Amino acid sequence: MPLRHIALIPVAVAINLALSALVDPTGLPLFLDTTGTVLATALAGPVVGVTTGVVTTVTNSLRNPTFLPFVVVQVIVALYAWAAARLGLFRRVATSVPAGIGLGVLAAAVSTPISYAVFGCATSGGVTLLTLLGRRVGMSDLGACAFGSFVSDFGDKTVTFVLVAAVLHALPRRTAARFPLALRAAGRT
Amino acid sequence: MSGLHPYTQLALATLLPALAWLVPGPRAPAIALAAAVALVLGTPRPLRRLAAVAVAAAPFWLFLFLLHPPARAALVGLRLTTLLGAAAWVGALLAPGRLVEALVARGWSARAAYLLGGTLAAVPLVRAHARRIGEAQRCRGLATRGALVTRLRAVHALVLPLVLSVLHQLDERVLALETRGLGAAVHRTPLDPPADSPAQAAARWGAAAACLAALAARIA
Repeated sequence: MPLRHIALIPVAVAINLALSALVDPTGLPLFLDTTGTVLATALAGPVVGVTTGVVTTVTNSLRNPTFLPFVVVQVIVALYAWAAARLGLFRRVATSVPAGIGLGVLAAAVSTPISYAVFGCATSGGVTLLTLLGRRVGMSDLGACAFGSFVSDFGDKTVTFVLVAAVLHALPRRTAARFPLALRAAGRT
Repeated sequence: MSGLHPYTQLALATLLPALAWLVPGPRAPAIALAAAVALVLGTPRPLRRLAAVAVAAAPFWLFLFLLHPPARAALVGLRLTTLLGAAAWVGALLAPGRLVEALVARGWSARAAYLLGGTLAAVPLVRAHARRIGEAQRCRGLATRGALVTRLRAVHALVLPLVLSVLHQLDERVLALETRGLGAAVHRTPLDPPADSPAQAAARWGAAAACLAALAARIA
């Protein structure tokens, strides 16, 4: 792995872990904890993206180990982002929004069984309330859990994809030139 | 316990939650939680750490009792609290620098060790940078409340400067790594590798065997 990619990983992990607090004043239910993973994948490919996701989970788990079972979600996010970059879905907002919604569905599908089996769906206040709401309208336990995960995920992943597309377009030419994959993903070649 | 090899500390911290999850019934998680609490009591400032575990576990217990019958809620709650307790213990004793030295001593490349050490160093720097950007944007009159579109614009105005500036600093990081010889394909010698012993190695294998046995019993 080139040294530039090695240097990128800790920075991308730090982005994953810093953005949630940064956007907290807006009051929006956004975690943005996969933004660095998606960005690293678009900049440097799937190996860097997957490594960023795994290191993010490990680092987060040192503070709160309940993140550890969700490492597979970060891996899936990186692989999906790689496919999205290859398909040119970061080139326009009009394509990055549906791609982000697709990632929200996928992330919810992956995280629901983990959330249900390990945490009994009690991962956070928002998900718990949504799960309770799902049960009230007659969903099964697993269905209500999936509903809670999807509602909390799809908006977050959509904003994540739009932000990464915006970063790829706003990168200075000099910086972007060091990441040929990013130029291609943003359609700037 | 602080003198144990980092691998042994990690093995013990993994063993307790693994057994709490793998052994059926509430007794194993209760014993594992008691063991985790006993371990935390042996660390510096134990009451503060136990309070932190209680604060982290409390929302889970609340949500679990909202969602499940009491018996299942208590079982999952015990398991999660064991996980948090074991992490509090290993977090109190395991120094990242010692872990990096142990990894390098076991043949891991300096690059792999940097991923962990470099990340732990980068996170507080980027968080501090994020705080400064947030304050600067608010000083310039950035509106973070109001209609959804206004809030989404605020997200854009907060996130983009942070991400672009840390990517801009990447060249300096690469230069620093090259200067420190991280680009060279040679194995590094750790300066002060943590001491290990056959007894600790046996304990680690024993922990792995206990987990596998519990997994096999669970599957059977």
